[in-house]
Amino acid sequence: MDFRSLFTRKSKSSSIATQRLQLILTQDRFEVSEDSMKKLQIELTEVLAKYFEFTMNSVSMSIKREGNSYVLMADFPYSKTNKIR
Amino acid sequence: MGKVIVITSGKGGVGKTTSTANLGTALAMIEKTVVIVDADVGLRNLDVVMGLESRVVYTSMDVIEKRCELSKALVKDRRVENLMLLAASQRNRKDDIRPEQMQDICEKLKEEYDFVLIDSPAGIEQGFHNAAAGADEAIIVTTPDLSAIRDADRIIGLLQNEGIEPINLVINRLSATLVRKGNMISKNDVLDILNIDLIGVIPEDTGVIASTNRGVPLVHTDRSPGAEAYMRIARRMIGQRVPIPDMREDSFLDQIANWFSRNK
Ligand SMILES: Nc1ncnc2c1ncn2[C@@H]1O[C@H](COP(=O)(O)OP(=O)(O)OP(=O)(O)O)[C@@H](O)[C@H]1O
Ligand SMILES: [Mg+2]
Repeated sequence: MDFRSLFTRKSKSSSIATQRLQLILTQDRFEVSEDSMKKLQIELTEVLAKYFEFTMNSVSMSIKREGNSYVLMADFPYSKTNKIR
Repeated sequence: MGKVIVITSGKGGVGKTTSTANLGTALAMIEKTVVIVDADVGLRNLDVVMGLESRVVYTSMDVIEKRCELSKALVKDRRVENLMLLAASQRNRKDDIRPEQMQDICEKLKEEYDFVLIDSPAGIEQGFHNAAAGADEAIIVTTPDLSAIRDADRIIGLLQNEGIEPINLVINRLSATLVRKGNMISKNDVLDILNIDLIGVIPEDTGVIASTNRGVPLVHTDRSPGAEAYMRIARRMIGQRVPIPDMREDSFLDQIANWFSRNK
């Protein structure tokens, strides 16, 4: 455990801002609505769920700038014990 | 042949004009020839921040409409050699100028000066496009807050589409105390999010307001943290390797935590 958590009761506003910003920018960079993003996420999950086991709400997507282009990042955390089906 | 650098932001009031005035002055102080161009047509301010408002006779509009030669429209700075200002017209609107006309002015200026710095208006409309039209490179100014960073991101995308490169970042008004308390987004978080090259960090500095009141750019003031930060950026702009010093953003608790993890 990080002993600093003993002293800080609630999340710092700066980390809330950073998290919100990540989300806002992903939508801005995508140029799509939150709805379409959710839909894409669900459809991608459905495809991957044929091969891996994971819970839907652990999935996250973001867009990162890399030089002059953008990289779509999707995280599908799954445990090592889940073998490929 | 010099370079044209547009200083822009998206969001208003984050320090574009302050940065243009100080970087222009700083570059001239280290013996470069510089023109600073106010591209904020209708809301001009650069002349005031430089303390040159009483000397402005002609503006870029007079050059475009051929009422005056470009060289005659440039106002010489009062304090440093080799620093010129091209003022914006206060009576016109941003869409009275076309991008090609700005480009033409920039092309001519960079034949004779080492640096041409363009003070862009806020926004992503015509005024911004005019300001960026003749630019080879860009400096994005942002403050460490959500909306300014969001707008900076948008502007970076637009500049990349125009093929402007490099695009460097200035983080303005950073307060190490607020970052330490967890109430301000840190330098590293801003960089992580925007992922472009950092050229400098300007601390929150009350000296900026006094310097604007006097019409004397901050870089003329010795030992002001803001002035030193601008001088360092100017040195980086001429290719010198100047480190970006870390402001103490770690809290006392972070420092203790670091000490513990080092001594495990
Ligand atoms: N590092 C700083 N510390 C304290 N105050 C600052 C700093 N930088 C800028 N300011 C203040 O913020 C205000 C806005 O600055 P400035 O006019 O340079 O912004 P701008 O981006 O050019 O605005 P606009 O979008 O309206 O053109 C000014 O009052 C200025 O004094
Ligand atoms: Mg301005």
